[in-house]
Amino acid sequence: MLSECFIASTLASSKAPASATLRDVGVCVHEFQPTLNLRSTFKKSSTAANCLAVSPSHVFAAQSEKAIVHVYSREKGNQEATVPFPERIRSIAVAGGKNGDVLVLGTQGGRLILWETCTGRQVATTASHLRPVTSLVVDPNSNFILSGSSDASIHVWSLVDLLSFTKPPSGRDRQPPNSPIRTFSNHRAAITAIAVGHSAGRYNIAVSAADDSTAIAWDYHTGRLLRTFLLPSNAKSLALDPADRAFYVGYEDGSIQSIDFYKNQSIQNPLHDPSLQSTPSQPPAEDRWAPPSADCGAAHALTLCYDGMTLLSGHQNGKVLSWTVGRKKYASTVADYTHPVTNLFMLPPNGLPHPSLDLKRVAHTIVKPRYDSSLSETSQAAGAVPADYTFSTHLLPSISSKPNSAKPDQFTEAFSHAYFPESMLEEGLAELAAFSQPTSNGAPVSSIAQGISDEDLAAKDSQISQLEAELATLKKKSSVNETARQSTTDEVTKLRSDLANLHDYINELHEKQEQAQREKILRQARKEERETRRREAWFAAEKKGKKGDAVLRKMDAEDTVMTSDTDDQSSDE
Amino acid sequence: MAYMSMSLHAVNHRLTNVPVKQLPHLASCLASSISNCGELLSTPQSQKSGKTDSDNAVQIHKLITRLGSLLQDRTYEGRWTAVVLVKALVEAGQWEILRSSEPFVRGLISILAKSDPISTKKMCIITLTRIFHLTYQYPTLVREITTPALPGFITSALNLISVKPSSEPVRKLKPNTPFVEVVLQAVNELIARHPTIFRPFTAQIHSLLQVIIGSTSPTFPEHVLEIAQQLFISLHNCAPKNTGGDEWKSACRMTITSVHAASSYVLRAVVEQWESVDPSLRQMSQPQNYSQEVGNGPDALGLEGWQGLNSGVNRLVVLLRMLSGFVGTATASTVTIPVGAILDLTSRLNMVVYPSGSSDIQANPQIGRAEREQLLTELPRIHIACMKLLLDLVNALETSAIPVAQTILEQVLWVFRAEQFSRDVRTAVYDLVCVLLTRIGPSMTKQSVSSMAFIIRKCCHDLLPPTGNQNAATEKPDPKSKNKSSSQATVNADSFLNPGLKQVRQTSSSSSFPDLTRAASELLAATLTHTPSEFLSPALRAEVDRTLILTSDKNAMLASVLNPFPAMQGRGVGTSILPFLARSHPAETEVECLIRPRMPVVMTGLTANGYVPMEDDDDDEDEDEAITAVPASTSTGFLKPTPTPTLQHDDMMDVEKDIPSPPSKRSYADEVEQPAAPTIATTSPSLQSKKPRFEPKAAAVTQPPLDAASPATFTGTAAISVPTSSIAGPAPVQTPKPAQSSIAKPSALAAAAAADDESDDEMPSLNVDPDTEDEDEDEE
Repeated sequence: MLSECFIASTLASSKAPASATLRDVGVCVHEFQPTLNLRSTFKKSSTAANCLAVSPSHVFAAQSEKAIVHVYSREKGNQEATVPFPERIRSIAVAGGKNGDVLVLGTQGGRLILWETCTGRQVATTASHLRPVTSLVVDPNSNFILSGSSDASIHVWSLVDLLSFTKPPSGRDRQPPNSPIRTFSNHRAAITAIAVGHSAGRYNIAVSAADDSTAIAWDYHTGRLLRTFLLPSNAKSLALDPADRAFYVGYEDGSIQSIDFYKNQSIQNPLHDPSLQSTPSQPPAEDRWAPPSADCGAAHALTLCYDGMTLLSGHQNGKVLSWTVGRKKYASTVADYTHPVTNLFMLPPNGLPHPSLDLKRVAHTIVKPRYDSSLSETSQAAGAVPADYTFSTHLLPSISSKPNSAKPDQFTEAFSHAYFPESMLEEGLAELAAFSQPTSNGAPVSSIAQGISDEDLAAKDSQISQLEAELATLKKKSSVNETARQSTTDEVTKLRSDLANLHDYINELHEKQEQAQREKILRQARKEERETRRREAWFAAEKKGKKGDAVLRKMDAEDTVMTSDTDDQSSDE
Repeated sequence: MAYMSMSLHAVNHRLTNVPVKQLPHLASCLASSISNCGELLSTPQSQKSGKTDSDNAVQIHKLITRLGSLLQDRTYEGRWTAVVLVKALVEAGQWEILRSSEPFVRGLISILAKSDPISTKKMCIITLTRIFHLTYQYPTLVREITTPALPGFITSALNLISVKPSSEPVRKLKPNTPFVEVVLQAVNELIARHPTIFRPFTAQIHSLLQVIIGSTSPTFPEHVLEIAQQLFISLHNCAPKNTGGDEWKSACRMTITSVHAASSYVLRAVVEQWESVDPSLRQMSQPQNYSQEVGNGPDALGLEGWQGLNSGVNRLVVLLRMLSGFVGTATASTVTIPVGAILDLTSRLNMVVYPSGSSDIQANPQIGRAEREQLLTELPRIHIACMKLLLDLVNALETSAIPVAQTILEQVLWVFRAEQFSRDVRTAVYDLVCVLLTRIGPSMTKQSVSSMAFIIRKCCHDLLPPTGNQNAATEKPDPKSKNKSSSQATVNADSFLNPGLKQVRQTSSSSSFPDLTRAASELLAATLTHTPSEFLSPALRAEVDRTLILTSDKNAMLASVLNPFPAMQGRGVGTSILPFLARSHPAETEVECLIRPRMPVVMTGLTANGYVPMEDDDDDEDEDEAITAVPASTSTGFLKPTPTPTLQHDDMMDVEKDIPSPPSKRSYADEVEQPAAPTIATTSPSLQSKKPRFEPKAAAVTQPPLDAASPATFTGTAAISVPTSSIAGPAPVQTPKPAQSSIAKPSALAAAAAADDESDDEMPSLNVDPDTEDEDEDEE
């Protein structure tokens, strides 16, 4: 449920509180909206003005007239520690943004002490103020500390310079380390209150009030005066509008005054109008809101609620009054703590989504300041972060998912989906379809198949098709080869057979030749034989005295008959 | 309600009548019907009275029973559908369904052991995790459902990815299981919420994670590694009561030790200059066997050893990522982040950089050149991991990073100086510097801002379209260039032949490295927003503004307009790129509320005399730089056929002079008008500074007023078209006024002019703008 609370602290006084619940109580957490009631209390504390600081996890209360700070745990609702310091603490503020991890303490001696509540490191500054530091504020960036003192000056310190292990290269003006970077000295009397604007940019303003009845708006980045306001009396407390349009001053007599920066219809921000800067302005008296009764006492603390339309003031007589900003008048008494109310803090409302205030970590317990040598800045090697510099905190799960995991991963997507993302279902369907194939064949699903995910299947499919294609080409190639080989073999066989035929032919021819030779020889022989016979016949005829020639003729005729009968081949011879 | 009960009825009908084999195809639409009935399903039973409600109750009961039986179905299809619908039902029904989800849980766990398809099992794990997750907020349901079922689920899920060989609490990872990621995710989701139930399993999970994180080759996919690292870190949740913080711390310490051990080997090729701030680490270095291949045995975390430089660098990067996981992951309780030790580690790793002009490394003579060169090429990877670690550290500490921010910044600058050639290093550095600036930017000194100047320059360079082929074009018009002919020889002919080429290239360059571009433009915006603007040198600021105009980056342009460059003595009024912003983003809300504010606005912060005093002399050098740098850019700008208006910062200055002044101008004009002639002498210094503005007008007075109103006095070149148009606004307002007043009191004007002459030295030569630039160019 949406609720808004404030924290108030009191300065112990001799008066006894009316109700038993408020006995011993020093710090109260009070619900302001929707219903007024006391939420919780922290006991045994007495704080002067500007001596209470609130972080999301803790409440720090510097005890008046003492050199100790009480640390209360807001989670547990108890006092967690009592931290002693070497000097009296006159003012206190929390730095470190939404986590409030650095406590800034202003001491009686005019120096600041910075305490990193998560590491226990402690840094002290030079005693640049001549009188006690009575008011402290830290700018929204946690880069600058503004400290006001009763010596009428306001110092601007760079938190970064004070805390850095490695000192950034310093400017030409060699200042002693840990000294203020700027001093605002337009006030003529002790500073009573400082308020800082809500901008994170470089045109942020600070408003300071002093006992010289002035309030000054100035630019703490440059130390330049923007406006001077002449107040009817000495301001005790200040509060700035959430949009920095006006500020509110609490006076000693319990009255409140609202001072609007935008009085004139000017297009330029009047604070930054150079023509107005030199002339002090006197806010009209009707802006002063009278307290309901004269015995309220000084307004020690002011705070504005979240919407900036209700102002709460803590008074000397222990009352917390609420004022309506719009109607510029007292509205009601919110609470009565009997003791003087010295500090008031409106807490950011619960239940309002506030991304910039979402804590990423929380410190359940503080680490008390350590005085061991390794952390004191003098003994360590220049610039090095000591090895035992550790940071205690509880890292919380981040509400918003990490921006770097932009690629939605399957698990988280499915996890937060109403059932399952479509892609996953499709994948499953495909797998089921692949599964149903073997089941329809009646074959049991092999356990090997289980191990194959869809992507594998797809990959395999493509691989298989690729292989098949390859196979086909190979087959084609081999068939081509085969035919080629076939044809060569055919050719070879044909050639071989041709060769054989040729051999046969040659043999035949050889045979024929031989036969012809033989016949020739035979014929020769026959011829010779006939010759011989004819000669013999001629001789015989001659011997017989017959005419040899006639015998010969007769023999020739016989021969021709013989040859024509027996041997036709001899006819050519 | 009627619709819901009807659709529930329809779902039941289909579930019972459609054959189980065909159910998977209906699953998607059935599931969406069920999730649409969320209101009906989550209505508490007690509120259900009357006939229709009892009918609904019957339907719901029927659905639950049917799904229960489907989970036990014989077919894969039935079980698959059941898993999908159970998730839909549980998501829709919340507590009402969850309280009767015990049989679902049993059925789902039994599916994990069956031989179901992978998708069924994956969805099973997700559904179960979701059920356990949803029950967490109801302690009774946790007692009834989660506590009894979770151990069984863990066992079967772990069985999917590993085998438990024996009774000892160690598991062996199955090779190539598709479930590693989903199981680790599920365990990671549940471990922080049910630490006691997971406690008996931590040793088993730990042994699995060691294998996953420690595998150097082949490594697991990045997202698996990431989730394994997260789980490894989350294991501290299971530590017995109140020791979670110690467990976390020791795991973190061991990781740091492991990184140190690994880097002693990986970096052995160079002699390290680093000396630890931790005395215990100083004696750590052991003698190494340099003759062997680089490698390391099992380390403090129990990860297995590695061999080879590549594996070593992989291991180093994995461990550094794990370390950034430590500072980025939610913890169980308060932990102590060892900031000092982490910075010590990063300073060691960042100390060794790629050798460049300013930094040289000392080579280890015992190591061969090949290994050293390999190491040097791997360095950017290590440094990117370091940057990521530092970024996560700063993000975790937020404002508490202030004490160490300067230390980190110095490490980053050191690395960037040496390794800006690597695109990924640049991206990582831009991201880190951007975060650092938001923390410590406002209180930076001039020195630290100027030490960052080269990063910002590089940043501009990254955002601008590639200018490689413009060099030739810029040289050509320069009459003094001696090497004109030689440069012509190397000109990219395409740029002449095809002027459209550049246009294409510009559009493509912006999309080529989206990460780098994003980081660079964020850094520019952060620089303008968070660092004191007077500390940026004018030349650099001009370069930044020019880049912003050319890239039309709205956020960075807004940052530039909102943080104007402060006016300096003798340099004219503050400058602004507001007209460009108005041109490029006319419809944006931010631009609207900047230009036409409904509420009062903060103007440029001028001091009483209108100027911020510049205290340092070296500014003069910067200014000189600016002047010399400007004409060069001018010439490139004019000759570039770029599609965007190529306005150099000189032109901007013209514009700038006019932009912030209109309101003040008007007020000055009023002041001049109201007091009559005698009062002019008494005008405040602010008025004096104003006077020069009348000079051109005074000249125009002699002419007819019509002439004066025309923009002829603004002898703008073509490139100044935008400025002139923006000037048109204030000009008509003004011109009649000087005309009247000058006619009424010419002597006053003369006096003003005279005063002008006298006070020339202390006044900026406001007299209008383009002239000065033209002169500069002429001089050139």
